[in-house]
Amino acid sequence: MAKIDLVNVTKRFNKTVALDGIDLTIHDKEFFVLFGPAGAGKTTLLKVIAGVEFPEVGEVRISDENVNLVEPAKRNISMVFENYALYPHMNIFDNIASPMRSPLYKKDEATIKREVHKVASMMKIDHLLERLPSQVSNGQRQRTALGRALVRDPNVFLMDEPIAHLDAKLRHVMRAELKEMQHEFSTTTIYVTHDYLEALSLGDRVGIINEGKIVQIGTGEEVYLTPANEFVARLMGDPEINIFEIDLVDEDGVLGGVMLGQKKPHLIPEDVAKVINDGGYTKIRIGLRGNDFNYSFTKVSPEYMDATVYSVEPIGNKTILVVDVNGEKLRVIAPNDIKVELDQPIYVNVKMDKAMFFNAEDGNFIIRHNQKQLLEVD
Amino acid sequence: MAKLILKNVFKRYENKDKKKKKAVNPLAVNNFSLETEDGEFIGILGPSGCGKTTSLRMIAGLEDITDGEIYIGDMKVNDVDPKDRGIGLAFEDYALYPPLSVYDNIAFNLKAKNVSADDIKKEIDRIAPMLKVEELLEMRPAKLSGGQKQRVNLARAIIRKPKLLLLDEPMSHLDGKMRQVLRIELQRLHKEIKCTTIIVTHDQLEAMSLADRIAIMKDGELQQFGTPLEVYDNPVNEFVAGFIGEPPMNINTVKVEKTDKGTFFKFVDADIAIPVPDRYLPVVSEGMKVRLGVRPTDLMIGDENSKGSDAKISVFENLGEERKISFRVGTEFLTLVTPDEKRYKQGDPVKLEVKADKTHLFDVETGEVIRAK
Amino acid sequence: MNHKSKEMLKSIGFTGLLTIYAIFAIFPLFWLILLTFKSDAQMFNTTFVFTPTLENYRIVILQGTDYVKAFINNIIVSGGAVLLSLLVGVPGAYALARYNFSKKEDLAFTILSFRFAPEILVILPLFMIYQKIGLYDTYFGLIWVYQLITLPLLIWVLRGYFEDISVEVEQAANLDGYSWYQVFFKILLPLIKPGLVASALLAFIFAWNNFTFPLLLSGFQIETVTVAALRYIGSDTVHYGQMAVAAAVAALPEVVLALIIQKHLVRGLSFGAVKG
Repeated sequence: MAKIDLVNVTKRFNKTVALDGIDLTIHDKEFFVLFGPAGAGKTTLLKVIAGVEFPEVGEVRISDENVNLVEPAKRNISMVFENYALYPHMNIFDNIASPMRSPLYKKDEATIKREVHKVASMMKIDHLLERLPSQVSNGQRQRTALGRALVRDPNVFLMDEPIAHLDAKLRHVMRAELKEMQHEFSTTTIYVTHDYLEALSLGDRVGIINEGKIVQIGTGEEVYLTPANEFVARLMGDPEINIFEIDLVDEDGVLGGVMLGQKKPHLIPEDVAKVINDGGYTKIRIGLRGNDFNYSFTKVSPEYMDATVYSVEPIGNKTILVVDVNGEKLRVIAPNDIKVELDQPIYVNVKMDKAMFFNAEDGNFIIRHNQKQLLEVD
Repeated sequence: MAKLILKNVFKRYENKDKKKKKAVNPLAVNNFSLETEDGEFIGILGPSGCGKTTSLRMIAGLEDITDGEIYIGDMKVNDVDPKDRGIGLAFEDYALYPPLSVYDNIAFNLKAKNVSADDIKKEIDRIAPMLKVEELLEMRPAKLSGGQKQRVNLARAIIRKPKLLLLDEPMSHLDGKMRQVLRIELQRLHKEIKCTTIIVTHDQLEAMSLADRIAIMKDGELQQFGTPLEVYDNPVNEFVAGFIGEPPMNINTVKVEKTDKGTFFKFVDADIAIPVPDRYLPVVSEGMKVRLGVRPTDLMIGDENSKGSDAKISVFENLGEERKISFRVGTEFLTLVTPDEKRYKQGDPVKLEVKADKTHLFDVETGEVIRAK
Repeated sequence: MNHKSKEMLKSIGFTGLLTIYAIFAIFPLFWLILLTFKSDAQMFNTTFVFTPTLENYRIVILQGTDYVKAFINNIIVSGGAVLLSLLVGVPGAYALARYNFSKKEDLAFTILSFRFAPEILVILPLFMIYQKIGLYDTYFGLIWVYQLITLPLLIWVLRGYFEDISVEVEQAANLDGYSWYQVFFKILLPLIKPGLVASALLAFIFAWNNFTFPLLLSGFQIETVTVAALRYIGSDTVHYGQMAVAAAVAALPEVVLALIIQKHLVRGLSFGAVKG
């Protein structure tokens, strides 16, 4: 039960800056996901909050109290480490019991036994308590680490990529399990991940971090639908979003965009056009996800662009096509029963009402069609 | 360019370690038969220890064949030395020679065969653009990124114009994005060189997206051999059904129950009942237990008039492009994936519907598929 | 098959070579043991056929207390050296593994390089210094100089061990509510135990066997077994039998120790140490 404030937190390792002036507030009982690519500073941020790394500059406050000088043991924080950090010489039971045997959070053995069994059955590892960490599977190790964190009643939970090392299928299940559990532990939680699905699924809010700086904070929908910049847009979604430049043309007050070597401009939705005109933007890039295209094997309308199939990947419930439009490779999602050959001609059209508009000069997000309504969907 | 044929191939490992009385499974490969078309791209897919790498090593000649025959083209290769089999091989770990430049690494094999320097140059000039390594030729392997190393590795494998190209988990060391890129490059490369190619992988996504046909193995035995769509839509057993597809297929034990409303599959571990599709009526009987398989995309939430089963949402996840809804079934989840925009909360009651023609039935004991009559 | 017979030949060849090497390695020991049972008279005129006698053992162990005293001295000096090394080396190895400070690798190398210098090279200045500051012929003097042997070994093996333990394990214990000292004794110590035992044992053996340092840095007060063995070279004759007994008895503790923790030794040194 705690609010966490980071004020201008900066951390260097030798010459590399791991955290660069981070200002961040995490509300009481919030499930906050910290999302970013490898090396962005996610883990360092967690460790600074935990107190096992020290910031050069800035303040860490827990419940409005500066804890910079409080030892990690005394912050009452529990953390799940990416490599689980189990004690190799202790069995699963002793690993989970460890926090309750420490001088600070000491409980009597009967309580310990009861609590460990409770947590272990929640994590479905109650049949493994006698084993050593080296004798159980990766998934079970991860659940042991979670169990060790959950067994006491901390102020703050920190979770560092707790399910990143599991195989894709187990990750799906564990993500759902975590999400279901969220309702049970109403404790301030910071969850670090590089998987956009985990970020979207679990976070009350998602903070996106890159090169030691917070890039955007918002709900899952906000960061997915209105990413702060091209970097965030590229992080979200699989296949990766398509981003390319368009040339603005004004025909009798109607704004259009000429793209990918086409002659005829595509109409830009009115609400978007207004913002672009008012903002005086001249160089625009648009971002379209794999679903934001129409395709056809005949030229159904002049707006459809000539393209060839560059690659075909049937991946089960859908097929990912890469199509080549005048040298630009676009990733397009198609149904799984589509029949295409490599290098076959195909015609694609963009759904301009789904496009995100970025300022080509700094890569920052400008607007998309119906932005307000999109974010108000409940 | 050549066909590859495996006829009843076995691989048995002698149990050398006397202390361990029982080896894990001495039959690493058990009666494996496979016939490819000329120029086909084949994926051998399976979990670790299923015998896929052993099979590849037998094809390459790095491992003795206990029993059976392997043909490359018209040549029976059982007793042919690896170097004479006409094979290009790219390993899981890059295995480039560190002191040599990329150029020399690629040229290494040709030099060993005393090809003239001019011819080598010609060949490398031809191949380098295909794999986008022109810029790297002067560099040392240590300076390359993972993806670049794997490209060089591929270049080295194809420069000797192999009859058969063997790839052993070529992308397992790369990160997600790089994998995507290399997958596409591999597809293009295969189209260009038209060489029969075998890729061994444990990643179903990789096999599905690359291969013309996939051979799925488990415990040394071939389970199914077919196109990606075939193994996805018509898995022959529970193992294949669970292994192919992500998120994985829901497979739950259900019991056949007859009521006045009709015949239902009643979930054993949850209060969910699904009408038995007509085509299965002749093969099931009341009280029979079967494993019911439904892909997450083949489940739907019905509207208020729906006759679907009542169910309570345990987990709702909004994943951007799609939404994933999970229902508790004992210790597992029944998972539904939908592009529908509607948002739900945990605990919301809904009507759960199934696309009847997309259900799969498996035998409780053997896991074999039960086909409709 | 051709293949199989080739394998067979190979294994016969290897076994043969190993046997020859084993004989080569073991024969001197065997010869030494043989000598201990021979009287001086029979020393040179018989090889394998002789009248076994325990006379040598009686003279060395029971007659005169010098040898027994040397034996005890050796235990004190070698044991003391290992203990001191443990006290200094464990924290030292931890610091080298965990903390980054300037010239860290240089320092680590300097410690290792203690083992490079031939003892005979440093012994003369050491002898003079010891004379001056009164460490000559004292227990502490020898324990001190033995650090040149025991400390580098301990630090290098243990550093590898500490590096193998992820920092996160320590941090996790920290967050579990343990102070640094508790983490050290509860988590780290049990984890480095195999390396600790193995390297301490090896260090003990190296110290035990050392000859140059006790020969020159101690006098009659503190004589170790290696030096004591020299006494059997008299002015008139060399008592090979008694010398053999002295050597054999001196080797006994090592053999016993090595046998007891043989498994520990191989495992302990082949883990961490390789990476260090």
